[in-house]
Amino acid sequence: MGRAKAWLPWFGGRTLVEHVVERLRPAVDEVVVVTSADLDLPPLEARVVRDREPERGPLAGLRDGLAAVESDFAFVTATDAPFLTPAYVGAMLDRGVACAPVADGHVQVLSAVMPRAGAALAERLLTAGRARPLALLEALDFVAIDEGELDVGETPPWLGFNTPEAYLDAVRAEDPGAQCEVELLGRAATDGVPPVVTSPVGSLGDVLAHVTTGRELTLVEEDRVARAHLVSLGGRDLVRALGLPVGPGERVTVLDAQAGG
Amino acid sequence: MSGFHGRYLRIDLTQGVSDLRSLPEDVSCRVLGGVGLGTWLLLNESRAGFDPLSPEAPLVFAFSPLVGTGLTTSAKFAVVAKSPLTGFVCDALASSHFAIAGKRMGVDAIVVVGACAEPSEWVTGTLRPTGSWGRSAAETAAALASEGRVAAIGVAGERLVRYATISADGRHAGRGGLGAVMGAKRLKALVVDGDVETPVADRAALETRAEGLRRRAAGPATAKYRELGTVGNLLAFDRVGALPTRNFQASHFEGAERLAAERWRGERSHRRTGCAHCTIGCEQRYATTRGGRPDVRIEYESQFALGPLVGVDDPDAVLAASARCDALGLDTISAGGTLAFAMECRERGWLSEGPRFGDDVLPWLDRIASRDGFGDRLAEGSRRLAREIGGSAEDLAPQVKGLELPGYEPRALQSMALGFAVSSRGADHNRSSAYEADFSDTVDRLRGDARSVEAAVSAEDRAAALDSLVLCKFVRGAFDDLFAESAGMLAEVTGLAWTADDVQAVARRIVDLRRLGNEREGWRPSDDRLPRRFLEEPIASGPAVGARLPAARLEEMIRGYNRTRGYEDAGWVPRARREALEVELGLDFGACGGGGVDEA
Repeated sequence: MGRAKAWLPWFGGRTLVEHVVERLRPAVDEVVVVTSADLDLPPLEARVVRDREPERGPLAGLRDGLAAVESDFAFVTATDAPFLTPAYVGAMLDRGVACAPVADGHVQVLSAVMPRAGAALAERLLTAGRARPLALLEALDFVAIDEGELDVGETPPWLGFNTPEAYLDAVRAEDPGAQCEVELLGRAATDGVPPVVTSPVGSLGDVLAHVTTGRELTLVEEDRVARAHLVSLGGRDLVRALGLPVGPGERVTVLDAQAGG
Repeated sequence: MSGFHGRYLRIDLTQGVSDLRSLPEDVSCRVLGGVGLGTWLLLNESRAGFDPLSPEAPLVFAFSPLVGTGLTTSAKFAVVAKSPLTGFVCDALASSHFAIAGKRMGVDAIVVVGACAEPSEWVTGTLRPTGSWGRSAAETAAALASEGRVAAIGVAGERLVRYATISADGRHAGRGGLGAVMGAKRLKALVVDGDVETPVADRAALETRAEGLRRRAAGPATAKYRELGTVGNLLAFDRVGALPTRNFQASHFEGAERLAAERWRGERSHRRTGCAHCTIGCEQRYATTRGGRPDVRIEYESQFALGPLVGVDDPDAVLAASARCDALGLDTISAGGTLAFAMECRERGWLSEGPRFGDDVLPWLDRIASRDGFGDRLAEGSRRLAREIGGSAEDLAPQVKGLELPGYEPRALQSMALGFAVSSRGADHNRSSAYEADFSDTVDRLRGDARSVEAAVSAEDRAAALDSLVLCKFVRGAFDDLFAESAGMLAEVTGLAWTADDVQAVARRIVDLRRLGNEREGWRPSDDRLPRRFLEEPIASGPAVGARLPAARLEEMIRGYNRTRGYEDAGWVPRARREALEVELGLDFGACGGGGVDEA
């Protein structure tokens, strides 16, 4: 992906993690976000728990999250689940058992309900060398729910993404006309280009091509951002790779490469 | 050996005498000029634990092997002394004809010791009472211009403000309060002139090289400095959440666009000038009012420190404050940093008097320079003020080793955070330009790691080389291989064989030398730390919201830095290295460091 999923922009000026927390909150008593010790997060209306042993894989994070919840059952989701709805989460929790949807023959492990007591079971599985979250669901003797039983519409709430293209597909599924904006600073601003222009979302290469079309401005050289410049995505990631995705409402800022004294 | 005169001028103000003293050739080769030579002279001329404002304190003006050659940006000199702000070894550079004229006196450096009985000026060999006491450095220089090139202090230096500057040709040796060292000697001005040529071993080859460097320095590698100057940083820093605002309470300033150079270009008259013997021409001068004359030189550091850092978004006010600091002889970064700290303390109710965010700072700058009323407390810098306030105030004082932070938010630029922590001068962007890595795609600027360590060490080495040659850092982008090309320059100037490894060894020796100097003056491992605010508070808003620099992460980077440097884990220079340097440089570092226990 090349960018932290939690910080990818979604609609309404929110990051993906903010969006997902917002979708969860109406359906649950409390949201617990498990994250690695190193990943910063925006302020969230959620309790943040640090993954104690990220090197042991996602089941260790799941263990820490389940150990932190106060309810008997928790709905477990990944960050990249923008189509999650409170109704779906509430319906899943109302089942009162460990359960997960099955779509196209695949158990959607990260759109499941698990008991708080699963934390201890996860620890035993980890000790036994089993690190996959599915192992926990299986050990919990979960109820598999065929997606046909769920009223989830055309875009299933567990739909996630692992590539820039898939992320952009998800964005366009939500709004085919999604736009980002590009701000030109420093030397780029002196080339007669308006300081802020809009562009359809896409890869950084697509966005820069859109901005420079018809203008005497070189922002790309040899399949990278040109040496004279550096690009900030959303004010966080400083990048040169053109394949990175630019999301809805995101501010792309073109800086001078020699920023600093 | 060509390129050096092999001697320095030692002026004893107490006795009113001066004499020439020889410099060992091997020492010149091992530390070059500028900050390297200056630091060696400082340590050679002083005993451990001296008071930087006492008569015995040496004040060194060091030239360099490249001064006076045709190499662009080489007309720089270093001032080196023990800082009254930090208590550690401090060097500050300025670009000026003073460097050329000083070296044409036939010396590689001038060391000033002692103190005058009355305010005086030293003019090409004559010490005499000055008529310029109470005047600005610029006025003083104008009065003495017919007698030579002038380095002078302003009122702030006279009043021993701990962040007073020394000025030459309107440029300032700005950081660390070296103007107060000069003021404590009651020396208003040092005027130099001469006609001694520095021998150059291969002038033709050097001229060819100089022409090549001039051509490259006029190209894209320095375009940023020519076109917008460093003030082009402000909006860029704002957009990535790295612009220190309201004493580092935020890293994004709502008034940034009003202060943006991109906007100023369309709104106010502007002109571009350059330092002595420089073909880059980075100085950006603007009018303080629309329609006025473009006379105010401003750099990003002044713009940020007297703007966002103190909550001021009025460009006229920022330009006026920068001009006032220049006139008074105040380091803009420390002035802004100390004011901003006092403003936050006032906001928190820890101070019952003093400035508030958004205030017009001009009256406060005047009070600082004259030590009038509360200005007397501000003149001591943020760390001393914090200790006076007590409680947890020092957690919020924006300084490392007493030196106020420049305009780089360390939580959003974590390679730079490491550079701030370990720099011998204190929080500093000129001795450790690790921000270059942060503003690239080679490190994760929000999560410092081993790559940040490598970047910080490399940036420090390159800075030490440039600062001892001396060449301006703005030309650094024009080099494909700084060390190799520097070796070529030195070979042509000195007539000796130099390799890239030799130059890098000099740079590392200078880094070690400054650290050992600090150890001699009482450095402890706990001095290599950032204020607690940066380690405990995430950035609260703006593009870098949530960015954290946990203490454990910084400590890991510091350990990595120490290991990479070959220091002990706690940061002490190992005894074997210290003893080797003592032999190489003929210095005695005394009973410093060497595995001591950090008691702080």
